[in-house]
Amino acid sequence: MQRKISPVAKQAVEHYIAQSTLLNERCDNSSLIASRQQAQTLLAKQAFPTQRDEDWQYTRLTGFIQNQFEQKPATPLTSEQVRQYMPSFPVTMVVFIDGWFSEMLSDDLENLPRGVVFESFKDALNISGDSNKLFAKESDITKEPFGVLNSLLLADGFYLQLAANAHMDLPLFVLHIQTSDNHLSNVRNFVELGENAELAIVERYVSLETRAKATSCTNVVTQIDMAKHARCKQVVMQEQSDNGFYFNNQFIYQEDSSSYSSFYGSLGCQLSRHQNHIFMNGEHIESQQNSACLGKDKQVVDSRTDTQHNDVWGNSQQLHKYVLTDSAVGVFNGMIRVDQKAQKTDGQMDNKNLLLSEIAKMDTKPQLEIYADDVKCSHGSASGQIDENQIFYLQARGIRRADAIKMITHAFLLEPAELITNDQIRHWVTDRLTVALAGIQQ
Amino acid sequence: MLLKVENLQAEIDDKQILKGLNLEVKPGEVHAIMGPNGAGKSTLANVLSGRDDYEVTAGSVTFDGEDLLELDADDRARKGVFLAFQYPVEIPGVSNKLFMQTALNAVREERGLPALDMFDFDEFAKAKIELLDMRADLLERSVNVGFSGGEKKRNDIFQMALLEPKLCILDETDSGLDIDALRVVANGVNALRSEDRSFIVVTHYQRLLDYIKPDHVHVLYDGKIVKSGGFELVHELEEHGYDDIIQQHNKD
Repeated sequence: MQRKISPVAKQAVEHYIAQSTLLNERCDNSSLIASRQQAQTLLAKQAFPTQRDEDWQYTRLTGFIQNQFEQKPATPLTSEQVRQYMPSFPVTMVVFIDGWFSEMLSDDLENLPRGVVFESFKDALNISGDSNKLFAKESDITKEPFGVLNSLLLADGFYLQLAANAHMDLPLFVLHIQTSDNHLSNVRNFVELGENAELAIVERYVSLETRAKATSCTNVVTQIDMAKHARCKQVVMQEQSDNGFYFNNQFIYQEDSSSYSSFYGSLGCQLSRHQNHIFMNGEHIESQQNSACLGKDKQVVDSRTDTQHNDVWGNSQQLHKYVLTDSAVGVFNGMIRVDQKAQKTDGQMDNKNLLLSEIAKMDTKPQLEIYADDVKCSHGSASGQIDENQIFYLQARGIRRADAIKMITHAFLLEPAELITNDQIRHWVTDRLTVALAGIQQ
Repeated sequence: MLLKVENLQAEIDDKQILKGLNLEVKPGEVHAIMGPNGAGKSTLANVLSGRDDYEVTAGSVTFDGEDLLELDADDRARKGVFLAFQYPVEIPGVSNKLFMQTALNAVREERGLPALDMFDFDEFAKAKIELLDMRADLLERSVNVGFSGGEKKRNDIFQMALLEPKLCILDETDSGLDIDALRVVANGVNALRSEDRSFIVVTHYQRLLDYIKPDHVHVLYDGKIVKSGGFELVHELEEHGYDDIIQQHNKD
């Protein structure tokens, strides 16, 4: 059946395919050209999803489609301008401006500890003899509409490889700064963790302060391949302009006894959608996915997880919390799929939502698909307003009603961050969340 | 006079519960309010502490010379009214330390005292934790989360010890407590008794009162106090139940 495509959506499709064609004309890497071409075919065929697509029912792309974003060159920034977005604790700093890797603003990435290799994605394509491996998972990635867009316009990102037993001395802090209106930052990252390697990575997405009202778009795809016993602890803070758009698809491939933990904090953008796709392809694998999402004004805050238990003794834990005020819309969709082979799976998924206004809305869909018979799985979701009994209990001890509401909301939203084991990173995250909460409660 | 309740009438969901209640409490006095289920005991405790669900339709409450009914619950607490809850509430993620330090400093602000910093607060709280035989990690834990029924009630008494109120209202604090927990709660209350602190102990049973030994005992029935007496009334009720008093009242 031919899909119905509106003229505006058709224009958007043509616009992005034209940009992709331009990129290919200036490119001499055959794998990259092929990947973009394949994405062009896919986008031409399926266009962008509409509300008729079940996965996009609550997340309307009208606003995104109306803006035909351009992939412009990076605005030059000084290290002074960048410094304010850095954390106060020691990190290894990686800076992207408008989706382009900035060697000048990043720390020295040539002399990393033994077994650690960092390259921009552009460079990785050229030096790595086997650039095919960078495209090995295209079929998974392009199942997602914004994965298609990412392949279509793939031009930069980073490649990080940790050899067996390698680890970095400091957390890797990847800062993405959006600087200009109507711009599309299209980022593709590839992380490869060898056996028993360990990585702590923090990603922060911001808009340059002077462009606080900019309408720009960030579209990220990150692939993380984890060998046996590898460990990855990831934090993603999305704090872009309230007018912006943010799409992030993460594909995590885990082997035996590896452990992946991720925290996502969603604060900015008019429309944001963060998706984890986890493939637990070995025995005794652990994964943790928590998120704290704050929605205000007319923001649409979408966070999704797809956790595939494909082997025995897997353990996955999830806690997703939303605080919504004004006419914000929260969307959660979580799937735990347990393969027939994946006996002894323990999968827990919890989604809790606090609605601070009468018109804020939460659409949530936790799902379990279980094909094995000896598993322990649960999912739950609860949405509601603050319990008046809690407010009264604090008031009855002399705490003002407004302060009581703040205290309860704050505790509610910060709980998912407890999974962050590094104290400095956790404090940095809770500070970000606290500042954002104070903003909605003035 | 610390508290003067005159002809208090209150309703919830259009149902009248208190039907003209009178009560006077002087500084340092301990009053027990007893009565059968549904008499209005908890309503009295909640109306005095300022819960919004109840509507006062007539009468007055004067506390320390002020119109108590004009004040919000938080202002009542700041002025020295304390309610120990029948069902203390769990607040996940809010530590007892943050909760109590915020509450104590609110009360101190009202009294014109400087706020306590973290260290001074810890020291102050530690003594009270020992007094009430609370678990040592109490302050770090979330408010009442994972606490047994007895621990929750003790936590309320601990809060009372910290805030040093003028009027303590215990709303069936003894319900659901085993004898050891009951003794700890009673000891806590007795330790806090002083010349300028009064108590209203609302209870269904005499057990707690045996430990606390109130100065005055009132029987609440059908929204009014129908009989008052001294501590001996407790044992009269224990022997004969409420039936005699209720029958007598209904006859009148």
